[in-house]
Amino acid sequence: MGKLFFNLMIVGPLLAGVNVGAKPLTAEIVMQGGRSWKGQIVGRDGDWLEFLTGTSDKPIRVGASTLQGLNFTINIDGEKVSDMMRARDFEGVISVISNELVPYAEYGDIPSNLTKYNALLFELYYRTRQYEKSLDISSAIAKDDRDPALREKSRIYQILALIELGRSTDAEALMAQYGWKPDSSEDTSPEKLYIMAKLLVLKKDYNQAMERVAKVVAFHSGDTDWMQPAELLCAEIYTQMGMYDSADSVISQIMMLYKDTPEYDKAAQLKIQIEKLRAEKKLEENLESKEA
Amino acid sequence: MIFFSRSLRYPVLGLILAVFVGVGVASAQDYGSMGISDVVGNADAMLQKGDYAGAIPALEEVIRRTKDLTDPQGLETLQSCRFQLARAFYQRDQTDAGMQVLGDYLKQSPRKQEAMALRMMAQGYFDKGEWNKIEEVAGRLLAMPKLPPEDQLVANLLLGQAEFRQNKWKECIPPLSYVSSNAKDERTRNLTQIMVIRALVESEDWSELFSQIPRLYRTDAKYDITLNLTLMRAGKARFEQSDFIHALLLYRMVLPRGELIGYSTRRVDALSKKLAADVKIGITESERVDRQKEIDEIKDSQKVLTDLPAYEDEVTFRIGQIYADVKRYWEGYVLFDRLYQQDRNSDIGEASMLQSVLILYDVKEVDRAEERILLYINEKPGGQYARTLLSMMMRDNLVKQHIEKVIGLRKYVEAMPATQSPDELQLQADMHYVLAFAYLQNKDYALAGDQFGIILTRYPNSSNLPDARYYRGMSYMLQGNYPDALADFKSYQSQYLGGEHYGASMFREGVCLFGMEKIPQAEIAFTGFIDTYPDDSLLSEAYSMRGDIEAAKDGSDNPNTPENEYDPHTLDRALADYRKAIDKATLPTQAAYAVFQAAKVYKLEFKWQEIVDLMNYYMNLLEDKADVAQAVFWIGQSQIEMGQVNEAVSAYLNAIERYGNEVEQEGIDKIIMEVVQIARDYLSEEDRADMLLKLKFKLNAVPLKDEVLQLRLRAAIAQLEGPEAVGALGNELLSITNLVSMTPVSLAIMCDAAVAGGKPAEMTRIYTYFMEHFEESDLLWHAYRAKTFQKLAENDNDAVLKVIEDAQGLFGAESFMGWAQIIRADTLYKMKKYDEAQEAYNMVMGVPEWRGSLCAEAMYGMGRCRLALDDYATAHTFFQRTYLQYKAYDDGKWAADGYLAAADSLVKLGRPADVVNTLTAMLADPYVNTLPQAEKAREMIKKYKGA
Repeated sequence: MGKLFFNLMIVGPLLAGVNVGAKPLTAEIVMQGGRSWKGQIVGRDGDWLEFLTGTSDKPIRVGASTLQGLNFTINIDGEKVSDMMRARDFEGVISVISNELVPYAEYGDIPSNLTKYNALLFELYYRTRQYEKSLDISSAIAKDDRDPALREKSRIYQILALIELGRSTDAEALMAQYGWKPDSSEDTSPEKLYIMAKLLVLKKDYNQAMERVAKVVAFHSGDTDWMQPAELLCAEIYTQMGMYDSADSVISQIMMLYKDTPEYDKAAQLKIQIEKLRAEKKLEENLESKEA
Repeated sequence: MIFFSRSLRYPVLGLILAVFVGVGVASAQDYGSMGISDVVGNADAMLQKGDYAGAIPALEEVIRRTKDLTDPQGLETLQSCRFQLARAFYQRDQTDAGMQVLGDYLKQSPRKQEAMALRMMAQGYFDKGEWNKIEEVAGRLLAMPKLPPEDQLVANLLLGQAEFRQNKWKECIPPLSYVSSNAKDERTRNLTQIMVIRALVESEDWSELFSQIPRLYRTDAKYDITLNLTLMRAGKARFEQSDFIHALLLYRMVLPRGELIGYSTRRVDALSKKLAADVKIGITESERVDRQKEIDEIKDSQKVLTDLPAYEDEVTFRIGQIYADVKRYWEGYVLFDRLYQQDRNSDIGEASMLQSVLILYDVKEVDRAEERILLYINEKPGGQYARTLLSMMMRDNLVKQHIEKVIGLRKYVEAMPATQSPDELQLQADMHYVLAFAYLQNKDYALAGDQFGIILTRYPNSSNLPDARYYRGMSYMLQGNYPDALADFKSYQSQYLGGEHYGASMFREGVCLFGMEKIPQAEIAFTGFIDTYPDDSLLSEAYSMRGDIEAAKDGSDNPNTPENEYDPHTLDRALADYRKAIDKATLPTQAAYAVFQAAKVYKLEFKWQEIVDLMNYYMNLLEDKADVAQAVFWIGQSQIEMGQVNEAVSAYLNAIERYGNEVEQEGIDKIIMEVVQIARDYLSEEDRADMLLKLKFKLNAVPLKDEVLQLRLRAAIAQLEGPEAVGALGNELLSITNLVSMTPVSLAIMCDAAVAGGKPAEMTRIYTYFMEHFEESDLLWHAYRAKTFQKLAENDNDAVLKVIEDAQGLFGAESFMGWAQIIRADTLYKMKKYDEAQEAYNMVMGVPEWRGSLCAEAMYGMGRCRLALDDYATAHTFFQRTYLQYKAYDDGKWAADGYLAAADSLVKLGRPADVVNTLTAMLADPYVNTLPQAEKAREMIKKYKGA
């Protein structure tokens, strides 16, 4: 309380110079120690935020570094976003969230409730194969230790994005930095098993990759977050290995279990790809038998 | 479950209250005398107080008085009182009475509380378990227009439950799903979702069921014990009906027992604490009872689960089986691996070990599979699956031709503990069988025979017994042990009439008889086989064998004539058999054997054009499978005999150019040697030079990548240029470490170069490769020669004799084999086996092709043998014949040595004058008198002259 009061006392005389051109943003400022005030942020001048409390006509200046965080009132139509998610319109969701976050961009360096939207963004960018963008956002959030669960999730997507970008060395270095051991026991968390499998796929060590991802399917079948991607990865690796019957079997299950999901869509694409590969293989066999 | 609240307070309609306002409360017995408004007022007052017992008579009185009214106001009063009366009965737990009143209420109008009345009615039926009635009531409720959300929820809950209880699985799903999606309290949502899942399982609506899984797993409903038991039961049922996919997905949903009990225990604790706290604050008894009931239900289900025999491992095993069955191998593997790792000694652990290995084979992780098998066998040689796994590993390696690996497993086969189990005995026999085949393929025929013998003696019930009998016969036969082989083949025929190898055993019988030189019997056996099995794959070989027999006859032993009269048609019959052998051949090698044997017969009869025709027939018949090089060789030979030397040479050179880059075309090497021979025997100096030039041009035109052709042409050129060129080429080729492009002609040159250079290591390297890759080559004797010299370098006399025996077994007394006989004799001499050595030397004399220097050497050798045996007179005779008969050979070397040795013999015989005479004659002999030995002769003459 004392500290906040002190800050307000300091910034008060400076309010005359505030740039109030930007649209005010409704927000709650949370000071170190947990005290909070509701009001509007009317602008920013370097490290200073111009904050208009509900009881005052004139904004006060608050040092950004003195804040624990900001809670903006963000007007995203949750129901609309849910509908778009259900329809797998991920690009649409990205657009909605990104547009909504534009006014808040200059506060991106301050811990805020924007993080949860950004977390959704890095996941969506990953889903839509925009791995660089996913990596940028997840890397930023991975440094924020206020929410351990979110930090862990961002680390996972950070590493996944690196793998998808083919940067296996960087991914492994980061895993080592995070203290993730290359342990593949059944107690290992599904996301780590999944990541290890992805890394091994990148190295074309398909059997080892299959063993890892199979553990997700076999030992974490109730994990709704990782089971679906793990099953899809199984189908993809079996395809890579030329084990088309095995891949077919997984695809059938995905299509039975995960209707209206991105995994369903990808499985359907993979099924077509397998049909093509089979046809090519058959053609090759025919040619070989003719040559023989 | 309660579908309406007993504590709801529905005052009697305001309208009535307005009419009869101001009326005091009366006792029951006064109602008859009271005006209706007083009675209503009384009833209302008592209802307001919660005095339901008191309100009942008043309400009954009002109903009695108003039941016949028809005006709207009167009817409304009647219906309102009926509803309140029913409620009062319900509050007093007089449900039947209440339901009867509700029945009247629902039959008449107006029914402003119809929805609540129906819910109460349903509650009554619910308490009595009359599900069909509930279904009817709920249906009526749902049919009401503009039903408020709460009533809609309750109606669906009623309907769903009623149908669920009546096992109307499909019907109950929509109403229960509605509740599951719309109920506000979590418990109701979870319970109805569980009921939906159960109904989907029971109705086998897998598609819908599995689409609900992700949703289910996001809630705590997944921990419901009853649900898990239902899923497990359904999974088992699907599994038993071979519906593996659905079984898998059902099993996959079942949570481990520990997780279920852990969750339910925590839930019981939480609910119990909350209930205790709420009881202290104050809750109704009915709520307390309801909540306690929920706790008790969880405890009951916990007990069911606790009492259930362990199911997790079985479920895991089944899931693993299904994964493997649907070819999701790795998913199966990790499950089996877990079961094995968590308990290696249990039945399920061992079975999982087996399954995991099978999967590793499926995914081609063979090294891991084998490592696992050996670990298991080392840990548990008596394990349930030790024999199964070892047998599998051996068979896999046998199929992959990893013969040494199979043989290396013998120690494990022999270390298996004794057993009486028929299955294990069969497996044990199977392992001996595989081992036997490995030995057979490794050409360790004796060891193969031992293993087949083990099956025959120790495993009389083995399914491999007939095969073991036949193949032991083969093992004997391949060792040249024809009598024992014959016994096995005959035994097979007597025991297994119509057996898989019956025909083959008849054929092999003929082969054995042939080997035992029982030629007429062999011929009969082959004829028997030919007549009995006209479509057998060995038919061609039988014809060839019979052809060989016919061809070997000299015309005086016709088996068809007891008098053994002269038979001029043996070669014709041989040729007829060879022709049939060619036509019936199922393998190119069978045709090739017959055609070239037939050519040999034609050659005996000088039928050169027939050879040409036969070869053309053969090449047309087999096309690209024909041994074209050999055929061309024969055509060329025939053309030479017919004086068509240029045509022959041209055909040869074309063949060399066309097929010379194919290592496997061994006939090309023969052609090269033949070309060299033709050049020597038939061509003029000028023509030879011309041929050499042609070959050099061809060599220059060969691309560098065609290494095999290059080497062949270089070998041909060297051979034409003479021994020095051959030696130089040999030494150059010895520097090449990779022998993959070498063919017999180059390897022969290399063998000779290694021998000439005295390089035992090189000899070993080259002859080993030669023997391994070209065991049928006509030039293989060079390899045997190199091997002989390598053994000589080791001073291993026994080995020398063995190699020579093998070489002579293959090449007999061909012109180029004299070296073998001489070395054999020399070796016996070194071993001081003088009589045997002398006999060996003597055999040289009997081979016309070896006449010349070899005979000189042999004659001299015989003398040495006699000398060593102190038989000086005979020795002298042999030495004398050496210098008299073989002066010219090897530049007089043997004659010179013969003179000196004869002189030595005469010394021993004490005939010095003859010594001087002999040596004087030597010095007068122009073949030897300039040789170094002459100097010794002069010294001896000085010594013995005048002695």
